Amino acid sequence: MAAQGTRRAYQEELEKLEVRALEGLDLVVEAIERASEAVQHSDVELAELVIASDDVIDGRYLEVHQSILTLLATQAPVASDLRLISALLHVMKCLERMGDQCVNIAKMIPIAGHEPPADERMLTDIVTMTGAVRDLVRQAKKAFESRDVGLARDLVRQDDIVDNLNRECFRRAIQIGDSEDRREWAMTMMLIARAIERIGDNAVDVGEQVAFLVTGLFREFEDASHPGEDLASQSG
Amino acid sequence: MEAALPPTERTRAAVAGARANVAAVLGSQPRGDVARNNLFAGLLLLAVLIALAGLVALLAQAFVEGAPAIGTKLFTEPPSTIDTANAGFRPALIGSVTMIVFVVVLIVPIGVGAAIWLEEYADGTRWWNRVIELNIQNLAAVPSIIYGILGLGLIVRGPLDLGFILFAGAMTLALLVLPIVIIAAREALRAVPPSIREGSLALGATAWQTTRRQVLPAAIPGIATGIILAVARALGETAPLLLVGATVFVTADPTPFEGNYSALPVQIFQYATRPQEDFQTLAAAGIILMLFVLIAMNSVAIWLRNRYEQRW
Amino acid sequence: MSESVTREDERTSDPVRETGASHPSVAIETRHTGLPARSDENVFELKDLSVHYGDNPAVKNISMDIYHKNITALIGPSGCGKSTLIRCLNRMNDLIPTARVDGELLYHGEDLYGPNVDPVQVRKMIGMVFQKPNPFPKSIYDNIAFGPRILGMKGDMDEIVERALRRGAIWDEVKDRLDDNAFGMSGGQQQRLCIARCIAVEPDVILMDEPCSALDPISTGKIEDLMMELKENYSIVIVTHNMQQAARVSDMTAFLIVELTADERNRWGEIVEYDDTEKIFTNPADSRTEDYVTGKVG
Repeated sequence: MAAQGTRRAYQEELEKLEVRALEGLDLVVEAIERASEAVQHSDVELAELVIASDDVIDGRYLEVHQSILTLLATQAPVASDLRLISALLHVMKCLERMGDQCVNIAKMIPIAGHEPPADERMLTDIVTMTGAVRDLVRQAKKAFESRDVGLARDLVRQDDIVDNLNRECFRRAIQIGDSEDRREWAMTMMLIARAIERIGDNAVDVGEQVAFLVTGLFREFEDASHPGEDLASQSG
Repeated sequence: MEAALPPTERTRAAVAGARANVAAVLGSQPRGDVARNNLFAGLLLLAVLIALAGLVALLAQAFVEGAPAIGTKLFTEPPSTIDTANAGFRPALIGSVTMIVFVVVLIVPIGVGAAIWLEEYADGTRWWNRVIELNIQNLAAVPSIIYGILGLGLIVRGPLDLGFILFAGAMTLALLVLPIVIIAAREALRAVPPSIREGSLALGATAWQTTRRQVLPAAIPGIATGIILAVARALGETAPLLLVGATVFVTADPTPFEGNYSALPVQIFQYATRPQEDFQTLAAAGIILMLFVLIAMNSVAIWLRNRYEQRW
Repeated sequence: MSESVTREDERTSDPVRETGASHPSVAIETRHTGLPARSDENVFELKDLSVHYGDNPAVKNISMDIYHKNITALIGPSGCGKSTLIRCLNRMNDLIPTARVDGELLYHGEDLYGPNVDPVQVRKMIGMVFQKPNPFPKSIYDNIAFGPRILGMKGDMDEIVERALRRGAIWDEVKDRLDDNAFGMSGGQQQRLCIARCIAVEPDVILMDEPCSALDPISTGKIEDLMMELKENYSIVIVTHNMQQAARVSDMTAFLIVELTADERNRWGEIVEYDDTEKIFTNPADSRTEDYVTGKVG
């Protein structure tokens, strides 16, 4: 969309900034897919790649961060422009954390070892989780781009699925048995599951920023101190 | 073609080209323009010289002719038709100065007051105000003899019926020069920026307080100039005075409210119309005397104006 | 993130959720709680105010309340009648013969345009500072003393002048040259002198019509600091083209736009939005306000 009206250079800069920031989410999707693949096939080399590629995400974070500071200093944005900048800052932080979680997942893979998995079911659950969070991140990006609050709120529902799977993994890990090997494997898988669950929460945070950007009010969709209460579906 | 030259050559060529351009622009001015400029300046100078030349010729002639008669006798002795050696301008001098004093006393409050009303209080869009404005401009251009007739008909005779006294002459002169004062005072008032008035009013001053304490003080220099011009005009007017009674050959010192009187220009006229050579000399001396009085009065006025201008 | 608001705030459209006392409320509003002390008293109440110059409207349908000891900013594009509006508040529009004011304008509950109201008295209580500094062609001392003298203020004139110059944050710069001509000062100093002159008559309200637009940034900064000090004792209404200035100094901001008749022959100003400055600049309700403050239209 060509910039209309006055301050065209500023508007274009703002649009470019948003695009660069949201592209970071694409990088995260890529990282999740690679991590998922690595977990599935115990691919240590792919895990190394995920770890190395996190530098790109960190670089993007720094680049966007610097651009935001420059924009704040030179253009003094107000109103929705200001909210956009604030939202983008939050999103970049979430994005960087998501990247770090992918790295955490990748780090676990060599520890898990090359033997066949102790619990097939757990592994498939985890792979399902990665698919779910990848869709979450994609949806979050779409919600931000189209400023769709409804779509953003829907992230909560999808994240619930991930949370449930996480709990299921935990349950199964407890019942894995007495073998030290199996327990080691299960705990590693548990840590991986937890990292995935964190990615999901970060994606929901991105959705909250969408709501803030559009409405000017910041409300948490779901508060950790009120588990199960879905405030997003309540009025406001 | 530039691509064929090595970089240093290209640079040198570019610099040389740029320098040539600049030199061409700065160095030359079309010769026609310069010539026209000089010609025009020359013509303007010529105009100034012609104006000055006339004035200088006038003064020179007066001084040359009147030099023999200059002396304190001009001030102290009354006029005479016979004794040229001891003739003077005393009554006429006293008459002129007294009249000027009265004229000033009359025109300052009336003229400045009228200007203030027209400039500060009157609603400029109303038709009658525009009529007044137009007529004041016209009045300044009315021939002075008309004022003489006015004075004769209304002041000396007619409703006021004062008779041929000095005060009547002063009133007539005052009417004559009033438009000058009003116009000059209006210009002076108009020159005071409206922001001063706004600032004053915004503090809670009334219109009169604003006029008296801000606008008038700032306009004093312009008003004073107007009064100086008016005085100069009044001093030199002869025609109206002829009609209101200054023609009598007066030897005694005049009094303002009764008796005959005379004025400098009239006295000069009387001397000048006599055939004898000596009287011509006296007339020329009278002109010098009048110029001296005028310069003296103006100096006082300018001194007063400058003194007031210092005060913030 | 600020602490949440747990009281019902009348001025918001949606009340904030209350939860158990042991938890801070989950719904976290972006509006901070530290609203400037706004007494319930209104300095001005405008109801459907409109001003016409002859047959041409300048502003129409202005309804707003101006609060006590607040700085209220009027912003908007050129020609939206901000200056006309502010000049209604101290009846300076009376000086223009063709100006006609309709509607109601209450000052502390009294009709400012009532039949028995003397504009001169009004201006003693509601002072004005103009866009271009306009000191009188007098000494600095006489500039300040002029107002108190003509108003017949009692007391030692030297003290009155010093107090005004101190409050105008210019005493230190001029205390040694009170008899100097006021025109010898820089533009910024002249404007502070004009503010001090305005304060010398101890008004209730100070109106400022683009006070900094002719000044350099440092002078502007000094005057903005001065405004924040003055806020403690006076109510201030300021017209400004500088959006950042309005955002920096004001408590409430009113945004006006230019309306045109169909044939584009007549143009006048109307209020679009009037709210806390913070709201106008973080989350304005009207899209026209949004477009103006972000500079996309203007």
